[in-house]
Amino acid sequence: MNSNKIFSILILISLFVWMGFNNIDPTPKEIIKKVQDNANGISNQGEVKMTIIRPTWKREMSIKTWSKGTDFSLILITGPARDKGTAFLKRDKELWNWQPTIDRAIKMPPSMMMQSWMGSDFSNDDMVQQSDPIEDFTHQFLGMENVEGRECYKIEMIPKEETAVVWGKIIHWVDKADYLELKTEFYDEDDYLVNTILGKNIKKMDGRLLPTRLEVIPADEEGHKTIVEQVNIQFDVPMKESFFSVQNMKRIR
Amino acid sequence: MKRITCIFLFLIQFFLITAQEQKTKNWILNGYVKNLQSVIFFDNNPALGIPQSITFKDNLIHNRLNFKWFLNDKLNLKADLRTRVFWGDQVQFSELLGVSYAESLEDANDILDLSIEGSSMKGLAFQSMLDRFYLEYMSEKWEIRLGRQRINWGISTFWNPNDIFNAFTFTDFDYAERPGSDALRVRYFLNYASSIEIAVKAFDNFDEAVIAGLWKFNKSNYDFQVLAGLMERDLVLGLGWAGNLKDAGFKGEISYFYSLEEEIDNSFGANFGIDYMFSNSLYLNGGFLFNSNGESRSGSEILLFELSAKNLYPYKWTIYSQALYPFTQLINGGLAILYSPGDLHALFVNPTLTYSISENWDFDLIGQIIFDKSDKYKSPLQAIFLRTKFSF
Repeated sequence: MNSNKIFSILILISLFVWMGFNNIDPTPKEIIKKVQDNANGISNQGEVKMTIIRPTWKREMSIKTWSKGTDFSLILITGPARDKGTAFLKRDKELWNWQPTIDRAIKMPPSMMMQSWMGSDFSNDDMVQQSDPIEDFTHQFLGMENVEGRECYKIEMIPKEETAVVWGKIIHWVDKADYLELKTEFYDEDDYLVNTILGKNIKKMDGRLLPTRLEVIPADEEGHKTIVEQVNIQFDVPMKESFFSVQNMKRIR
Repeated sequence: MKRITCIFLFLIQFFLITAQEQKTKNWILNGYVKNLQSVIFFDNNPALGIPQSITFKDNLIHNRLNFKWFLNDKLNLKADLRTRVFWGDQVQFSELLGVSYAESLEDANDILDLSIEGSSMKGLAFQSMLDRFYLEYMSEKWEIRLGRQRINWGISTFWNPNDIFNAFTFTDFDYAERPGSDALRVRYFLNYASSIEIAVKAFDNFDEAVIAGLWKFNKSNYDFQVLAGLMERDLVLGLGWAGNLKDAGFKGEISYFYSLEEEIDNSFGANFGIDYMFSNSLYLNGGFLFNSNGESRSGSEILLFELSAKNLYPYKWTIYSQALYPFTQLINGGLAILYSPGDLHALFVNPTLTYSISENWDFDLIGQIIFDKSDKYKSPLQAIFLRTKFSF
């Protein structure tokens, strides 16, 4: 065996090791994509219960949701009675609101996207996912950390310059085994922590393992919290793009 | 028959509040009960026939039932009943002047008489009216409605010169649903935000007919609409849009009315507005209304003028600004100011405070204060309303 051959074998081995290493650890962008694919599917429809908790009061809301990719989503409020029938439609960068009392759809200005959705700790953008977590951000792997006894990838996302979000950065903790988002921290442009989202109550729904309870905790407001519980969800239900229409906001029920 | 329907709808609502949770149903019933207390103060105004200042104290209990029955996937029946019981000075004053309060309420009917009402000299009046009563057919592309319905062609905020079937005034805050028109409306959907439609309002006399077509489309992230038709004795052409200038909303409506009567001038109405929400949730909305028919000699007319799509506010030019701010998530404050330049300098100030008591209980405090200039600048009318609402 000449030295040339040995050299070639060494190169081959190191190449395999390198490739193998890459197979074990996907890029941060791929991790975020897997989380998205697992949590959303190609399309999904479901029901959630949202509870807004404040030090002296709490309010409950029930919501039905339909979504396809990150471009199309439809939200219908089914309770409480006061808001029942109110709907929101998002198509790409446009947002409409259906008001059943006046029998009319209202086009919402983009400046409303970042504001609180129905008084909760979610913004309109969180509800209808205006920004694309894959394309609108740069991703960096920060290391491995343990969250609730599960080994997690810690990934930092920084919005690209042209992305219209209020966040300076977002840090995700993603469960290595099942690609579940267990913790997310949102920072403002001055690097202050604004919100933490915890993914809890991991259960199988429609054949997928998911955190079925999300807790949104604003950083500097004692006793404030929004809890979202997934009542049910179905993945990859065939849905045409035409389903996400202004006229369908009042038809869905 | 009408009376039986009303009583039946009335009885079942109480049963249904508790039965709402049941799932399988092919019908929906919801609604609200409101109590509105009001104090309205008119300053003396000899020109308007008010020789001395006068205060009206009134109370209104208001119940609304929205009922929808899904006959099958494509066909549904909608019947909404609005019942109001009034008592207080306004009813009494009206009866004293020999004007039946009940009869004045009946005017809200269109061609069909779908209401019952009554009033007494003692200052008590009531009305129960089906203000929605229609059959609707829906398929993916088509939507056909026949019966008493709200045809809302508005696209802008505040004022809607395009809303030719049922003009709405900003000052009437207690009837967001608006009266219905007895009409046929046929819509065909071209895509997610585009449609063409034709609507015809029932008439006994062709002079009262409203027949118009509307084309809605979406281009460059703007919703646009174009309408044309006949509104009573005018031919009407309209354009409306809703879109954005950067992050702010930009909405507007323009309508031109070509009079078929020689002695009546053509008229023109236009409304432009910009709205924006700041990061602290402060919402601002500002714009103006031009009304070629506007000409008024008194600020009090803001609450009393004859409303139509041709005459949405009694002045020629009006600048409006509105601010809404959530002091907490349960307490929202609002202030709207409408100023009409001209000899009168009419000013309408409308502060509001809303409080969410619980999920289905709301409390509102609403003020309406009018200022104008006759010999000196003063306020001819101040009103305050206290409203409690329970939704079910």
